[in-house]
Amino acid sequence: MFQVPTIADLNLGLTLPALSLALGACVLLLLDLFVPRERKEITAWLAMAGIAVSFVLNLAGFNESGTAFLGTFAADQFTGFLNIVILITAFLGVLLSLDYLKRAKIERGEYYVLLLLSAAGMMFMSSANDLIVVFIALELLSIPLYIMATFRAPDLKSEESGMKYFILGAFAGAFFVYGAALVYGATGTTNLPEIFAAVNGIIAAGGSQMFLLLMGTGLILVGLGFKVAVVPFHMWTPDVYEGAPTPVTAFMSVGAKAGGFAGLLRIMVVALPVFVLKDGQTAAAWQQTFWLVAAATLILGNIVAIAQTNVKRMLAYSSIAHAGYIMMAVAAAGTAGVANEATRAALLYLMAYMFTNLGAFGIALAIEKDDGSDTGVDNFIGLAKSKPALAAMMTVFMLSLTGIPLTGGFVGKWFVFKSALDAGLVPLAIIGVLTSVISAFYYVRIIVNMYLKDGEGDPAAGATRYVNWAIYVAFAGTLLMGIFPWIATNLSDTVVLAVEMFVR
Amino acid sequence: MLELNVQTLAFFVFALFVLGGGLGVITTRNLVHGTLYLILSLFGVAGFFVLLSAPFLAVVQVLVYIGAIAILIVFAVMLTRSMTSLHEVVNRQWVLSTIVAVLLFVMLTVTIILPVWGQDGSLAGQPVSEVVATTTDLGKALVDGNQYVLPFEVASLLLTAAMIGAIVIARDDE
Amino acid sequence: MENLPQLVPLVVFIPLVGMIINLLWGARLGEQWAGWIGSGAAILSFLVSFLLLTYLTGSNYQSVVVNPPFLDGWLSIGSINLEIPWQQRVDTLSVTMMLVVTGVGSLIHIYAIGYMHGDERFPRFFAFLNMFLVFMLILVTGNNFLMMFVGWEGVGLCSYLLIGFWFDKAKGVGWKNSLAARKAMILNRIGDFGMLMGIFLIFWTFGTLDYYKPGEIANVEYQEHLVAQLTGEHGEAAAPAEGEHGATTTEGEAAAPAAEGEHTEAPVAEGEHGEAAAPAAEGEHAVGPAIPEYVNNDHIATDQLGVFGKAQRMLEDGAEVNFGVVSLPIETVLVLITLFLLLGATGKSAQIPLFVWLPDAMAGPTPVSALIHAATMVTAGVYMMVRSNVLYHNAETTSLVVALIGATTALAAGYIAIGQWDIKRVLAYSTISQLGFMVAAVGIGAYGAAMFHLVTHAFFKALLFLGSGSVIHGVEHGHHDVSHGHDHHHDHDFDPQDMRNMGGLRNKMPITFLTYLVGTLALAGIWPFAGFWSKDEILADAWLSNTAGGYVVLAMLVIAAAFTAFYMWRQIEMVFFGKPRTEAAEHAHESTPAMLWPLVILAFFALLAGFYNVPANAGPFTIFGFFEWLFGGAHSFTVFLEPSVAYAHAGEFQGGIAAVALILALGAILLARRVYGDNKSVTADNTDPLYVNPATRQIWSLANARLYWDETYNRLLEQPFNAIGNFLAHTLDWTFWHDYVHEKVVGRGFNALGDLLSSPVDLGIIDGIVNGLGRLVSWLAGGLRRIQTGYVRTYAITLLLGVVLVIIILLLPMLQSGS
Repeated sequence: MFQVPTIADLNLGLTLPALSLALGACVLLLLDLFVPRERKEITAWLAMAGIAVSFVLNLAGFNESGTAFLGTFAADQFTGFLNIVILITAFLGVLLSLDYLKRAKIERGEYYVLLLLSAAGMMFMSSANDLIVVFIALELLSIPLYIMATFRAPDLKSEESGMKYFILGAFAGAFFVYGAALVYGATGTTNLPEIFAAVNGIIAAGGSQMFLLLMGTGLILVGLGFKVAVVPFHMWTPDVYEGAPTPVTAFMSVGAKAGGFAGLLRIMVVALPVFVLKDGQTAAAWQQTFWLVAAATLILGNIVAIAQTNVKRMLAYSSIAHAGYIMMAVAAAGTAGVANEATRAALLYLMAYMFTNLGAFGIALAIEKDDGSDTGVDNFIGLAKSKPALAAMMTVFMLSLTGIPLTGGFVGKWFVFKSALDAGLVPLAIIGVLTSVISAFYYVRIIVNMYLKDGEGDPAAGATRYVNWAIYVAFAGTLLMGIFPWIATNLSDTVVLAVEMFVR
Repeated sequence: MLELNVQTLAFFVFALFVLGGGLGVITTRNLVHGTLYLILSLFGVAGFFVLLSAPFLAVVQVLVYIGAIAILIVFAVMLTRSMTSLHEVVNRQWVLSTIVAVLLFVMLTVTIILPVWGQDGSLAGQPVSEVVATTTDLGKALVDGNQYVLPFEVASLLLTAAMIGAIVIARDDE
Repeated sequence: MENLPQLVPLVVFIPLVGMIINLLWGARLGEQWAGWIGSGAAILSFLVSFLLLTYLTGSNYQSVVVNPPFLDGWLSIGSINLEIPWQQRVDTLSVTMMLVVTGVGSLIHIYAIGYMHGDERFPRFFAFLNMFLVFMLILVTGNNFLMMFVGWEGVGLCSYLLIGFWFDKAKGVGWKNSLAARKAMILNRIGDFGMLMGIFLIFWTFGTLDYYKPGEIANVEYQEHLVAQLTGEHGEAAAPAEGEHGATTTEGEAAAPAAEGEHTEAPVAEGEHGEAAAPAAEGEHAVGPAIPEYVNNDHIATDQLGVFGKAQRMLEDGAEVNFGVVSLPIETVLVLITLFLLLGATGKSAQIPLFVWLPDAMAGPTPVSALIHAATMVTAGVYMMVRSNVLYHNAETTSLVVALIGATTALAAGYIAIGQWDIKRVLAYSTISQLGFMVAAVGIGAYGAAMFHLVTHAFFKALLFLGSGSVIHGVEHGHHDVSHGHDHHHDHDFDPQDMRNMGGLRNKMPITFLTYLVGTLALAGIWPFAGFWSKDEILADAWLSNTAGGYVVLAMLVIAAAFTAFYMWRQIEMVFFGKPRTEAAEHAHESTPAMLWPLVILAFFALLAGFYNVPANAGPFTIFGFFEWLFGGAHSFTVFLEPSVAYAHAGEFQGGIAAVALILALGAILLARRVYGDNKSVTADNTDPLYVNPATRQIWSLANARLYWDETYNRLLEQPFNAIGNFLAHTLDWTFWHDYVHEKVVGRGFNALGDLLSSPVDLGIIDGIVNGLGRLVSWLAGGLRRIQTGYVRTYAITLLLGVVLVIIILLLPMLQSGS
């Protein structure tokens, strides 16, 4: 029976943050036509205004939860929290890009439109309540990133970076769709809560549809694992991060991870938490795989990072390693009763990682030359002399990435390790602690270069006003989270993703 | 279990199209031929849609994939003549690729076939939907109290982004 | 008086302000101001600590937990029951540490004004010193393990910054300094791993990290005794306190349950006024301090107890700890926890196996060596173990390990010190050795003795370091004068820290000499200097422990003590006696008053500090009780510690052992005098007399080579680690993952790997990996970039491999359960 849905049915109020950003992107595309070529910073300011509007709307609706668009869109505190992360990332991304694009002579209004669209994709991802929406949001967040990665064209590295990202991304995306199709085959629905309901029936029947569900879960992990760069789907990361323009790298290193993990958490925690192989088990069937992936990611990412001489490459492996830590929390979410705690840990980790990583990339960007050269680890030598403030902030970022107390990184690690322990994943927590000790090697190396090695010191010509602002914000965020973690934890405490329903 | 009727026969013919076309695409050295094989393969998929009682999708498949995309590829290949045929074998990892692909194929097949013919055959014997999905049905599904409004809208954004990207990449700076 | 403990946040806050001022405006303020702001902050902080001490003495040593303003609920997440408040603890143990840290710290700050004079980063130095105080005081005042860890990491950071403070010295010295800093950082990270694991285990086991919750009583025995005494005084004024013991104890116990009914929750829940241990209500009589309300912790529910209280409860109940897969009895868990914490202590307190960083840490300016690497930071490990005495006391296995590690370290480091030439290196090994004494004391359960030695050691070792700084300063200036006087300056390779370049300084620097002598005698354990009392206390406790382990430890420590006397006197002979061996030593002159005053004050304490814990019945050693009478009772320091350290008992004096130790020490001094005295401390060919004598040549060479410890680490750990790192980074990621089908690259890569492995990798720990790998990888990356087009499909196939792996892992359990 055909029925025109009313506005009330769509529950538009809940979708405002994401919709307003998407709408903002479209409006920006039009307005950009009227912005003269040499004054593209106006476009950037408009983009930031759009982000700000969405941010305010998101805060206003933070505590409202419900579903919109007839069940395909879920808005809750999980969404709200992630939207904060995504919007701050986008905002800082624009700030970092402003002068960089000018310097590199690749300034175009479309850049900001693409950035907004990608951010909108991430936001849709964080509230997707349906496998189809997850897939489309995944593509919406990816495609602008592919283009932004090549934005430096005809620079070969940049073109290569975007091309690789695109081909491999499409490859991984196909796996996701296949996985979603298999899950649909097993359960007969793509709606996450409905899948949750159907899974119980499948387990009760004990039928071989379990195979479909398992396979589907695995392929979904592949598709999203690629986006968040976990081993063994990480190969693209260093090349793409190195080749893409630095602000784009910064934006995607945080944004794509936020989006990817949002999808993973939603699907695994909302739809598949009770998916066990035998009745009465307390850990979901996918936990073991996630655990192994997390362990492999931690070990490979941290160890290979030691060998890097290019800062962008080093941060790429570092971001792989950090994906491992978040993956640890996702794995922990597979244990009955720990799901909510682990989800919060993952969110907190993402937030800490966002501030720290954006700051670190901001500083890498500041010492980068106009032609994209000079991003070696050695270019940090003597920075403490030429730019003491930048060096001090870089030190804090590096310490935070290592996970030293009083920085955001420590808070994130603390919660992630704790949730892993609570979930009974003791070996994984030990691997986490050990690898974070290893990670000190390459982070401290930057500090050593800045403070203890003799050198001219880079003039850091890229540290223009807006870049500095972005770094300050990241710095303040890192410290705030480290010293007053309750600000973030109060926010995350309201996040309830898992339906605590383990009675079968 | 398997009755030999027109439908079954058609299925195998289309399957031959799809697989043969696919094999042709990856083995031929001539890009134009490759494109033609691709068209064959896509045509086979359209045939499947017909068998699955989705005529609209079949038509769209032919129109969009064969009529638009494949033809575009042909044009692209023609315009860049220098690479219409490849003489060197650059792929040195085909052995490994074959092994991995076969492994994956076996696993996927097993998992998907098991529920149908497996231990309990829980999905066996379910008939293909007899209801023919019409254009109206599809159209409604996209805006109806069904669940595809949002994906539909987001997809439009996605296409916008892709279009912008295409222009940005292709456009020369004047 | 009641509110005095609320001042404790100031102890941390004042140096913080000092640090910020110096960091932001130090350069503009100039040397004078920067120096005095830094020192002033330390002194003020010391005064506050002193006020806290007066509070404790006035309130029967009742511990107080303070919630600093603005910081409550530091880490507090209701939903997962995580509660780690930022609370500071005022009890006798923490106040002792505060006094040592700020007291010695103040003197060293003042000294540094003279020592660092003219340094281009003078204000930054003081900012770092103040920062160190901040973290060290967080470490000692915190009321939970996480705060301890924050301080722990913080002091590590300061240590790192200060060791590498002169990273820009010319002629490669700066590079060596930063290498030393890095070495310290990395070895401490290993320790930190133990610390973190220990803390995680504690949290897992006890669900809290607080030592004691507000209102909890640390030493129940002491509290019972105290209440008995106080009620005895108040109730029946005439009755002698001793005689009433039995009766009043039962009375006190009877009173406790009555009180329990009324305020069970109040003192626990209210963090605001945490000094519940001394509620004013009870003290109706204005005379004398209030009688504590409770004599034990029975009124507190188990889940409201801190770590130590809970540990005791769990031990009583024989509880098991569930780790998901296995569950272990609480005793075993305690052993695990304490072993992990011990690993942390061996890092920070420079014990075997992690001690090798401390000698290199002498690369830092001398005030840093004195403050951080002798008096305070390195004792953090000892403090941590004394603080956790409840855990260690109940983990016998660990205690044995601790005792053996401590004693072995004491012996080995004492031996190595004999063969060193660098004046500060001798002192560094001496510090390691003395820390070994303290750790051994912890191991045999003598927590009071460990703290006592910590305090006296802080005085005399700081004194010795500052004295050596004064000597170095003098020689350096002498050298400066000389090379200006002559035309041909032999500037190259003059090392002002090499004792071969000294000699005969006793006349040039009389005050330095005298104070140095006091420090030496104290360290050597000569009666009646401070070191005698504290070292003897440890030896006596080792004897009294009455176990085979205790006797072994005793034997090792006695020998180590003899070594101590020997190498210290060797140093005295080389530096101060004989004739000047260089022109620089000839022209050395005494240091400035800012440097001398701290020496004099510290010498005063090195002489006197020991008397505050003289044993009872020590016959001639205390001049038949005269010292006891003079300094207010026997073992007053141990008694002072008892309220906060549950197992700090005072051992009985062992006259025989004291005599043996004293005779051995004197004998060692005489021996050293015979070997090195009369101007033959350095032979003609510039080596040690022991080396020249064939009988002792091997012994000395081995000590000089530092027992080949560093080399062994290099061979056993560093090189394999480099090899593994190379293998993982190169083979696994680059070769295997990226491009293993490209035979050419594989071939080339393995060649490079072979080259790298066969060439001796003999660089610093990080450096070896980083440089070697860096070169290799950048070379490889350069080579691979040319065939970049082949990449995507390699990535794709890896992804595909990943897919297959993931699916296999997912399906495996299913297949198993299916079959």
